[in-house]
Amino acid sequence: MKLLITFALLLAFNSQAVTLIVSNQNKQVQPNVVVWLQPTTPIAEPPKPETTFVMEQKDRQFTPHILVVEQNGKVDFPNADSIMHHVYSFSKSKSFELKLYREQPQDPIIFDQTGVVELGCNIHDWMLGYIVVVDSPYYGITDQQGQLTLDIPQGDYTINTWHEGFSDISSTESQAMAINSAEVRYQLKQALIPRVAIGVDEYDDY
Amino acid sequence: MNMMITNHILRAITLFGVVVAFNVNAQVKGLVQVSAVKGDSQASWQERGVGLYRFDHNTDGLVLSQGVLDFRTDLSSAWSAHGVINAYQDPEPTLGFTQAYLQYKPLTQSNYKWHVRVGGFYPLLSLENPQIGWLSPYNYTNSAINSWVGEELRTLGVEATIKRPGRRFNSAHSFSFIGATFKGNDPAGTLLAWRGFAMHDRQTTFNESIAFAPVTSLNTPQLQFQANQVLPFEEVDGRYGYYAGIHWDYLKQSQFRFYYYDNNGDPSAINYSTGQYAWDTRFSSAAWLYKFTANTRLIAQAMSGSTAMGSRRGVDNRFYSHFVLLSHKMAQHRLSIRYDYFKVTDKDDWAFDPNASHGEGITATWRYQLNSQWQLGVEGSALRSQADNRQSMGISSHISQQQIALNAQWRF
Repeated sequence: MKLLITFALLLAFNSQAVTLIVSNQNKQVQPNVVVWLQPTTPIAEPPKPETTFVMEQKDRQFTPHILVVEQNGKVDFPNADSIMHHVYSFSKSKSFELKLYREQPQDPIIFDQTGVVELGCNIHDWMLGYIVVVDSPYYGITDQQGQLTLDIPQGDYTINTWHEGFSDISSTESQAMAINSAEVRYQLKQALIPRVAIGVDEYDDY
Repeated sequence: MNMMITNHILRAITLFGVVVAFNVNAQVKGLVQVSAVKGDSQASWQERGVGLYRFDHNTDGLVLSQGVLDFRTDLSSAWSAHGVINAYQDPEPTLGFTQAYLQYKPLTQSNYKWHVRVGGFYPLLSLENPQIGWLSPYNYTNSAINSWVGEELRTLGVEATIKRPGRRFNSAHSFSFIGATFKGNDPAGTLLAWRGFAMHDRQTTFNESIAFAPVTSLNTPQLQFQANQVLPFEEVDGRYGYYAGIHWDYLKQSQFRFYYYDNNGDPSAINYSTGQYAWDTRFSSAAWLYKFTANTRLIAQAMSGSTAMGSRRGVDNRFYSHFVLLSHKMAQHRLSIRYDYFKVTDKDDWAFDPNASHGEGITATWRYQLNSQWQLGVEGSALRSQADNRQSMGISSHISQQQIALNAQWRF
């Protein structure tokens, strides 16, 4: 019996580095796509250390612009600016507001429901950030080459993607996918709307 | 009477703000600026002279040029109390509020955002004064326009803003629409008539008065009820003034603001006990900020308006000013240079009270940011001006002035 469990665990942990390459409708590699893979049949997952995620307010912007957290993950909102922020979300998966004063950290917020959380600041209305809450340990964001490398066991998965250019910002794309080689490609099913990014400096508050 | 009520309200707001500021829902910031000044020989307008700078050779040496305490206290999710306390030692040691207001800014799911300010505050005409306490991060000496705004303009009333933020519409353009109505501020324009524009960073605190030079016409029977000073924020005629404005930002690279202001003053109204008339003062102001790069920017502003007092508009002037400011930042250094032009035109037929004046100035500033708290800077400014009422005071109608100052700023 013991042997069997060991064998099963070994099988489950037989992870390998898999590179996902995401392209857009123009067949060009697409950076900044949030990707997470859910195994079709549940697999024993390696125990994960308790981590706290961080969404910082720095130079009057959310940093990072997009944060992926696992369901029930705790997120800290440290304010690195010398002025205060009033962070809020009206999103279905997490609605909250947080007044963040200089050097007065607040308790972390637990994101217990999956989905896309859009962040804003009631004082600096150009500030825009996203927290994508996923129910899988296999996730990441594609780099400038549209690539993301995950340590993941081979098998059948559902690939989920999200990009801030999706016309419905709270929707995600999903598709069945077999992970059986070192490189897997995925093309987004929808065209991306270019998003306006507003760059600011310390005197733009007034 | 109205002024008294307003003052009581302001005091209540600020007192409340200060008290609550000591709990955690508050942001308190401050700034102290000490300057070593080499002033001009022409006595400053602050010392009843005709000099247009804040300092003169009598103030040579070290002065506390700015002491600012800026607080914001959150009363609820949407309500906050704001106040700015300023300390000055010129012309006399003063501690007072330059701003005190309540703000209501609700969180809203709507794509449009709105907020309301109630109390005493600046209309946001300027793009020159974005720092705490309405200070400029560019030149120390404000433009002629904003020197005047800082001394004679303040809203004691209600201002509402509706904003169409670009980010909510995935647009590079953001718009704000502002409307306000207020009491007080009836004597605004008085200084332009009897002194003209000036160039300085001395803001007037609520209840403060500003004295004039010994202008000869103030001794005539026609002007016998006018005091030798202005109380710029006083309510005289019981009427409501208003202003309306629009802000248009392209990303944050280009920022444009236009305001129309009318204090709706009844020029025939006078408060005999304080010697203050209501002036019918109205103006348009257009301001533009453009960033060539992240480090180089242009700021320009123009203001054009008119002001009049007396039942037959015995004093009736038009005024105009503009400035162009270029500022460049290199690592810890910021260089700013500004040109100002200003002019007051006398439109009335009271020959005994000449109000026309004009001038231009150039101001160059270098600032060095030592760390997040300390900043050093040096500024040189030169101006030349003409005023028709100087000769009768035994002073040349044309004067040229220079001022140099070394400044050390500490922030917390």
